[in-house]
Amino acid sequence: MRIICPFCGERELGEFTYLGDAKPVRPAADAGEDAVYDYVYLRDNIAGVMDENWYHGGGCRAWLKVTRNTLTHEISGVEAAAGAGARQVAK
Amino acid sequence: MAEFSWETRSPLDRALVAGPNGASGDAGVSLTEIRNFDLVQVMARRGKAAEMAEAAKARFGVAAPETPNAVGAADATLIWSGPDQFLALSTGGKHSIEALAPGFTGSASLSDQSHARVLISISGAKARTMLAKLSSIDLHPDVFGVGAAAATSMDHTSVTLWRGADRDGQAVFNLLVFATFAESLWHTILDSAAEYGVEIGHPEELA
Repeated sequence: MRIICPFCGERELGEFTYLGDAKPVRPAADAGEDAVYDYVYLRDNIAGVMDENWYHGGGCRAWLKVTRNTLTHEISGVEAAAGAGARQVAK
Repeated sequence: MAEFSWETRSPLDRALVAGPNGASGDAGVSLTEIRNFDLVQVMARRGKAAEMAEAAKARFGVAAPETPNAVGAADATLIWSGPDQFLALSTGGKHSIEALAPGFTGSASLSDQSHARVLISISGAKARTMLAKLSSIDLHPDVFGVGAAAATSMDHTSVTLWRGADRDGQAVFNLLVFATFAESLWHTILDSAAEYGVEIGHPEELA
């Protein structure tokens, strides 16, 4: 599997580390215990296309949001995760 | 209380043995270490990339790379190391962290890497063939020309790789590696290069 880093270009899987589902959003401080439990522990087990967070630790050290099909490993999109740097290489 | 005597030594002090190595005959790979340089990591603060770029232009006279490239300034080389960040490589203290800090106040965070990295220079007719064993990125001159840079991994070790000016018509690859990983990577490079014959040069000063 290869991932096209928006900053570095196409790289092998070994340069990346997988974090997991990119969907969970940290709840507000007063959201209550159930919301925090959901955020920390509960994950959808998606068979198909999902957004995931990957870390390009063996390269530019940017966090990426990768859209991947968990059945085929086909990657349909890669973008910088929120808060990552600005200028990206041409696709 | 023990008395310490501090002596600056290269992390490759033991590993680098100048002379021929590997297969005999004409050496396909030339290898040496470049010592005594100032290396500063310049990283834009949140939302301050434009200010950092301006400060870099004012300081070095050239625009800092915004894509994976190494840019030569009059007395420094600016190497892309990630989004909104670059490494400033120089010699003689002119662009040491103390010298750079005032110009980047408020726009970037600086971190001195002078003694944290080892700089290895790789050239020779078989340099690219040898690097192909260690690197998964395409180093063909059509896609990795003079001045191209990459933040990548070799032998599971993060490195900063860039192509310097050609020497004797042959590509020169510069490799910055974490100091504590340098000896391990050096031996891996020697193993990979052995079949082509290696000429290990005495350590050089940064020109």
